[in-house]
Amino acid sequence: MDKLSEILQQKFGHTSFREGQKEIIEQVIAGKDVVAILPTGMGKSLLYQLPAYFMKGAVVIVSPLLSLMQDQVEQLKMFGEKRVVAINSFLTYEQKEMVMSNLAMYKFIFTSPEMLQNKRFNCALSSISIAYIVADEAHCISQWGYDFRPDYLRISNWLDAFPEANVLALTATATQKVVDDIKGTLHMSNPFEFIHSLDRPTIAYEVQKADSQKEKEAWIMGRITTTNGPGILYTQSRKKAEYYAYELEKKGVKVAFYHAKLEQEDRVLVQQQFQQGDLDWICATNAFGMGIHKDNIRQIIHDHIPTSIASYMQEVGRAARDGKQSIASLIYTNSDVEQAFYVAMKDFPDETDIHAAFQSEEYQILLPETTFRILSYWKEILSEQETIALFHDIKKRKWLEIQKLFTLFQSELCIREQILNTFDEQLTTKPKNCCFNCSLDLQQLLTKREYQNLENIELNWFNRINELLRP
Amino acid sequence: MYFHHLLLLIIQKFHGERSSTAPFYLLKGKKSGQTIQDVTYFKLHPFFSLYPKLSLDQYNVEILTLVNKGFIEENGSVINLTEKGLMQIKTMKDPQFNGWLYRGNEHVFWSRMELVIQTLSHFQANVHRYVPNQKNQDIHQFVKGYLYSRDYKNVAFYSNFRQQLLQLLENTKFENIHREIFVYRLSGYGKSGLTWEQLARHYNLSLFDIKMLFIESLHIALPIINEEKFPDLLPLVKDVEVQTPLTESAMKTYQLIQKGHNLQEIAAMRFLKFNTIEDHIIEIVSANQYFPFFSYISNEQVEKVLRISNSLQTKKLKIIREQAPELSFFQIRIALAKGEEANG
Repeated sequence: MDKLSEILQQKFGHTSFREGQKEIIEQVIAGKDVVAILPTGMGKSLLYQLPAYFMKGAVVIVSPLLSLMQDQVEQLKMFGEKRVVAINSFLTYEQKEMVMSNLAMYKFIFTSPEMLQNKRFNCALSSISIAYIVADEAHCISQWGYDFRPDYLRISNWLDAFPEANVLALTATATQKVVDDIKGTLHMSNPFEFIHSLDRPTIAYEVQKADSQKEKEAWIMGRITTTNGPGILYTQSRKKAEYYAYELEKKGVKVAFYHAKLEQEDRVLVQQQFQQGDLDWICATNAFGMGIHKDNIRQIIHDHIPTSIASYMQEVGRAARDGKQSIASLIYTNSDVEQAFYVAMKDFPDETDIHAAFQSEEYQILLPETTFRILSYWKEILSEQETIALFHDIKKRKWLEIQKLFTLFQSELCIREQILNTFDEQLTTKPKNCCFNCSLDLQQLLTKREYQNLENIELNWFNRINELLRP
Repeated sequence: MYFHHLLLLIIQKFHGERSSTAPFYLLKGKKSGQTIQDVTYFKLHPFFSLYPKLSLDQYNVEILTLVNKGFIEENGSVINLTEKGLMQIKTMKDPQFNGWLYRGNEHVFWSRMELVIQTLSHFQANVHRYVPNQKNQDIHQFVKGYLYSRDYKNVAFYSNFRQQLLQLLENTKFENIHREIFVYRLSGYGKSGLTWEQLARHYNLSLFDIKMLFIESLHIALPIINEEKFPDLLPLVKDVEVQTPLTESAMKTYQLIQKGHNLQEIAAMRFLKFNTIEDHIIEIVSANQYFPFFSYISNEQVEKVLRISNSLQTKKLKIIREQAPELSFFQIRIALAKGEEANG
């Protein structure tokens, strides 16, 4: 066995690499800059985790999503790696000081883009040896990406301080334009590029049209109560997620809801219950996904038109991690497209917001933090009129994207092929169960659900202690 | 139900002398002079800071429900219990909270307990890698220290810990629902705890009810652990009790007084309003019965205020001052705080 496979087995418990993993890892170890695009669930984390064991020094991972960072730290700790730390706004001042003065102890240092301008942190970093730098969720660097984070642009200047370290950029989806942006911002001259197909052959696509919300609801209830999960029902609002969970529970489905308003502790419990199979279905908003390590999700249902094709792909991609046949279903009504646009625009500044932003330093707008930052970023670069024009343009593009997605779901062409084309990719082989418009054997795909009677289980504290702490 | 009963009980204790938001700030544990002074005036120590995350919107919905059911009524700016409301809580057992002593710190104890049990449960099943439910690094450090110092892989420790936990929960101060909520919030190997939602549905109670019962179960557990001195549980309650019941800001004022500064000087030094410093004094007087208050009000004056308050059955400053116009509101507040101390 070669050295790479040996470490793969020893540290991560896998017997073989997935497509592309080995080449990328070899390039990182050879000190090359790398851009890697791999769809959700294809083993992205391994790409930056494994090379660390072949190189001296620490790996610095810049990650714009705090919850993702937390999840990755936990994952590494699960593999028995203790030299992991996340430096972000969650740490108290004392904790930060503690970590910074012992930075050399760590092999994996996760950090948020905001921290890159922290002098104390950079000073501590310059005193240790760095193996390579990872830009995770690299599409957030690009203003053309669907998740643009202006703070992430700081990485450009920050990198100048580490000319020796090579850079690994990772993302799940990126168009050519975004890739060019990533390369530019990260000063990559001749990087090794690996673009994995975004296609997931074991996920079949089904699209249904309903004439009314009532019909849609009946369809969803029917599907979930008669076929087997495990599955996720994605809804657009917290209220809807709660509503479906409530209705399904009444019909004897083991189900829970999940959304951003759930307390942290309860989020963990719902994830755990789903992972352990105590729950068959989760009714969730897009807040559900990060940190779900469940391989056998068989069904993903959307009751709405998503606001971006990339986020749709990400949500659908949570199915079939075990490589077994699964199905992604979407059911819509004609009015859903306006709803999607409304939801997408909710977080956008309008002309009045932009005007207010240019009028004073301390303006109050009712916009999410991320939008606020994007606006502040452009304010530095553009005039008021230009900013208004820019957001007008972004809005228009968003509208077109949603329209395109809507057209895609309505069309009679192959859904899989159309999705791939959106990312400048061609479909080479069609799986047997492809999509609703090609071939789809629903009988075979969906197994019939046996009715379970969910009687009210007795709670017995004494027995439960004995289950938790066996005598 | 339970939460509603608690609200009724609190409203009763306010004696028709406060507005409907007073119980809200009490449950939130607001560290303002008014709330803290009310705790002493109306003997509301058990309920202080029981629900720091409560939102005003949520609270108002509950109050409205109680109004609609005819249990309480708003008279002008104050809120009162009705006859019907009184009937509701007549048979109610005394709640076993001690919010004044724990102030939300019971969660620290809980987090430690949860992580210890999750760890032991996995180790018992020979699983050494798992994702802790607790995300707080300080809790991780604490539990690590605790487990290492106790030779946690040793069978004897495991069975002792288990035994002490059972013994704790068998205590008759708990009702079964307390025990169940406590135990079913825990997770272990292959078993995850139940969410608030799931527990609420099981008992057909509201989320508020369940959360209050959970807090109560912790407030029952903490003194038992202290009294019984369970050797393996005792370390988990370390620093959970508030050492000094003073807020941090009042503490600073207190220290400056001890150095001999007067109230004007302290206000100027700390860039605070004079009123705020007065609030601190009320807080200090409430917390410390030996605090020398004579530079602000004489013993005779205190007695006079208490006589008035007693005969008129009120704690309203305005009414009292009509009978003792020579005293300031600040002086009357000190007197009332001293009065509660003497009774309590």
